Amino acid sequence: MKIMQCPLNGPRNISEFVYGGQVEPMPDPQQCSDKDWASYVFYDNNAIGIVREWWQHAPSSYWFIAERHNASDDILRTYDPGELFSERVDFTTGENEP
Amino acid sequence: MTSNLVSPLRCLTSNDDDRSGSLKLRDLSLATRSGVRGVHASQWLKSESLPHELQPNTIEALPDHRLLMALSTREFWLLDPDNPSGDTEPTFERTKPGVWPLYNQNSHAWLVLSGEPRADMLAKLCGVDLRSKAFPLGTVAQTQMALVSTIIAHHLWRGEPVFSLFIDQSLTDFAWEALQDAMAEFNTTR
Repeated sequence: MKIMQCPLNGPRNISEFVYGGQVEPMPDPQQCSDKDWASYVFYDNNAIGIVREWWQHAPSSYWFIAERHNASDDILRTYDPGELFSERVDFTTGENEP
Repeated sequence: MTSNLVSPLRCLTSNDDDRSGSLKLRDLSLATRSGVRGVHASQWLKSESLPHELQPNTIEALPDHRLLMALSTREFWLLDPDNPSGDTEPTFERTKPGVWPLYNQNSHAWLVLSGEPRADMLAKLCGVDLRSKAFPLGTVAQTQMALVSTIIAHHLWRGEPVFSLFIDQSLTDFAWEALQDAMAEFNTTR
């Protein structure tokens, strides 16, 4: 069984984790094009190397960030997203748009 | 066709035999529990004169025999194992922005496992080392048991070390059956 280090809960079986996509800067959903938003939501950079990814420890619903080599599948580091994000991201609804 | 399923909500014990060391599984789903979550949850606990500096994944007994469990720096559960729940409303209500009540009275079943071989038995169902050396009294593990997300807390109840197991209500029948199956090996007469 592959083991992943959860920053909150410690080492756990990989079956307890859910992949959440690559960590990328979010474009402004009110200003960017549909193509840019679709690229952000649906597409990943698939080049071989170390990638920074969102993962969730499902039993505790805890989201964190992992750095993983996508060829060897070695998990190099996991850490709390507070290291990268200091503020909650809130969304405007865009209700006034036509 | 007869069913061997046992409802976890009927407050049944797995075995009426009081042999020392035998495993017992009790259903405390009707006991009172509530919780809060949010960026200001810790400060709110302080305002309620409750311990507010618990480390994540720890559980602490309060002087009034309730238990306070910290699941993260922002989520805390207050457990009252000897007090039946009187209603479905959470004890904690939203008091200010950044603190929200948790409806864990309704979301999670509460089972209590006692008996000396409890860690050995759970090793059949859970990948976390729950032996006292690695998982002492006062610690909590959020993990999977029989592939079901489970919060396991190691604490004293009525003077006896026990594991409290918190499981999604909808999966409790399955978890109960899996536990009974795993326990059968340890509760046979040799």
